[in-house]
Order: sequence, then structure tokens, then C-alpha cells
Amino acid sequence: MEEKAKTAQKFCGNCGSHNAYNYPNQVFCTLRFSKGKEPIVQTLWCCEEWNPSSQECYCIKEAEKKQNKR
Amino acid sequence: MERDDFIREPVKHIRIDGKLTVDQLIQQFRNSGSFGAGRLSAACDIYERMLRDEKCTVFLALAGAVVPAGMRSLIADLIRERRIDVVVSTGANMVHDAIEAVGGHHYKGHWFVDDYVLYKYHIYRIYDVFVPEEDFTKLDYKLVEIYDEIATESNGKSLSSNEFTWELGRRLSDSDSILRAAYEAGVPIFLPAVRDSEFGFAYWLHASRKTSGKLLLVDAFKDLPEIVSICKRSPRNGMMVIGGGVPRNTVQSAALASKKGMDYAVIMTMDRPEIGGLSGSTLEETVSWGKVKSAANKIMVIGDAMIVFPIIVASVLERLGEDFKRAPYLKPKGIGGI
Repeated sequence: MEEKAKTAQKFCGNCGSHNAYNYPNQVFCTLRFSKGKEPIVQTLWCCEEWNPSSQECYCIKEAEKKQNKR
Repeated sequence: MERDDFIREPVKHIRIDGKLTVDQLIQQFRNSGSFGAGRLSAACDIYERMLRDEKCTVFLALAGAVVPAGMRSLIADLIRERRIDVVVSTGANMVHDAIEAVGGHHYKGHWFVDDYVLYKYHIYRIYDVFVPEEDFTKLDYKLVEIYDEIATESNGKSLSSNEFTWELGRRLSDSDSILRAAYEAGVPIFLPAVRDSEFGFAYWLHASRKTSGKLLLVDAFKDLPEIVSICKRSPRNGMMVIGGGVPRNTVQSAALASKKGMDYAVIMTMDRPEIGGLSGSTLEETVSWGKVKSAANKIMVIGDAMIVFPIIVASVLERLGEDFKRAPYLKPKGIGGI
């Protein structure tokens, strides 16, 4: 149950518009880019235009790991 | 043919000692004259003839992921030393050149790996070469800037693909870059299928912005008169083909359209002719189209170009010696052309 809740949480790192940029801390958002906004955002950030990614990746897990190390 | 004509030259057996240079090994292959060894030695002879022929323009057709696999500097050096006069490539090979030019890397990986794990780490696999996704993303970001700049400068005028690569090379400072070397040496690089690569994806990003001003326009049809004119103006033409596909056909078709046919041809491929694809089609088949002359110096080497091409180059450079300087028959004429 806990795992399910975690994957349901919305982050840039599990949004369908993300591409790796400074892995794992930052991602490149194609949607923001197309709107002329700053496209490089934190992996653990999120905006109102979040859309689900079609396949799971390690971005969030790795970004959280890195954050916890600090 | 008389019976004796078939049994004129005996096979000489290969002798190897610990001091053989690359070209000496190729000479041993020539003595045997058999199978792949015979073909490889013939390919070396033909490339040497192309380079020694002062009236020959040498085309390099480039397909398959040889640039990410490690052939980048070799090709850049050949261009800089004018041992290649015209490049026709897949868009992808030049994308991988540009990735390294803007600071990215290709990594030694392995073919036996869990690809879904790679997916989850945002790492792309090209057989046993790994490329991190961020190196593509950073290139895209840079390319969009470059596209904006070119679009503003060209002011609605479309570019042929060789003008496009010339503009890219002009903006890259990495001296090991193929695009940069071609820009400096005045060697045109044609990308007939330019859209089918990250260059196309970067265009999509460039065009997707609501804030976009002028758009970059690349028109691959504009390549045709330029590449055909190169073949036409050159007294003789030769092609070194890595792989096949669109780049090989573009070079051959230019030879056909100029009504000349290639005078020299070396093709390095692993493909088979039986399925009718161009990459495996024999040189004899190509003769039927008039793309390669019947009397041309020609050979197809069945082998991995990552092994075959560096050996050919090493052998031929050894034969030519360090003092050999080649002046191209057609001189650079400015933006993206000769």
C-alpha cells in the first residue's frame, strides 16, 4: 500500500514530459520549454500540468536518495 | 577463357612474424588473395588508387553507428587531410559527433544487460555502447539555440542539408569534431535523411515554442543539384561506403544522375543481397543501374566496418607515407559546398 501511494505522488521525475538533464537532481521539461518557461526543473518538484509517465524510471528514487545523503 | 587462365596464380600462404606492420599484413592477405583477406587487400589497393588519382573526388557514405562506437577522430582526420572530399551520412552519426562536441560522451557498455534497467536510468544502448539521455537533452537544448540563430540569419530562406551541417560546424569549437573539421576543410556533409535523427527532434522543440520567431528550414531536395554537380564536375569519382542505406544510395544516385557512374567503389557491409535491400546489394547489381561503371575498380568487403575501415586507412596511409599531400580536384566554394 505504501509503495502504491508513493508512486502515485506527483513529481517532475515521474511526469511524462521529463527528460534526464543533471541526473538525478534536475530534469528537462519539454512542456515548459514549448511554453517558453525555464525548462530545467528539480526532479522532486511538480507543477499543475503533470501528466503520468508511460513507464517507471529511477529518477525519483535516485533524487530522493541523493537528497537524503545531504 | 582457356583452362590455364583459371589456374594462373597460386595461393601464397600467409606468413606472420612479430614485426609485421598493418600494411605488411595486408600484403600477406594479398598474397593469399582468398576470402575476406583477399577482399580486404583489394579494398586497400582501390582506396590507394582513389587517393593517388589527382582527378578523383572521394565520397564517404556513412551509415551505422560508427561515430558513437569510436570512429569520430578517424573520420575528422581524413577530412582534415583531404583523404575524403564529400561526406554523405545518416543524421544520427553527425548527432553523435555533435554530442561529444558539446561535452557529452559515449561509454563502453555491454550487449548483455537488462535494457529495462537502462531505460529506468535514462541510458540508451547502441549494441555495447551506452549514451546517457542527458547528453542528448543537452545537445537538443544547444541545437535549439543554434537553430534560432540560423533561422534569424537565413531569414526565411531554406538550407540544403550540406549548408545546414556547414552552419553547425561553424558554431562548434571542438577541434576533434567531424562537423567542425568539415567546416574548416571545406568538405560538404550531406544528410539526406536529416529529419530521422536528433536533429529532427531538436527541430520539433525549436518549432514547438509558442515564443518562436523564425523557423529553421532545411530542404533536402536542394542537396540534389549540388551533389550531382560535384559528380559531374569531377573527372572521376570514387566512394568508400560504410554500411549502406540512404547514404550509399545518395552517392550512387548522384553518379547515375550525372551520367557518369562511379570509377572506384569500396563497400563495407554485413548485409546480404537476397532480401533486395540496398545495403546488401552487390556492386554488380549497382552496375545494372549505371551507378557504378562496369570497368570500375570495385570490391565489397563483408565485415564489420569498425574493424575493416581503420585497417584500410592504416594500410593505405602507410603506403602513401607521411610526406604525401593530396590536393582535392574540386576546391571549396564557400557555404557547404565544393
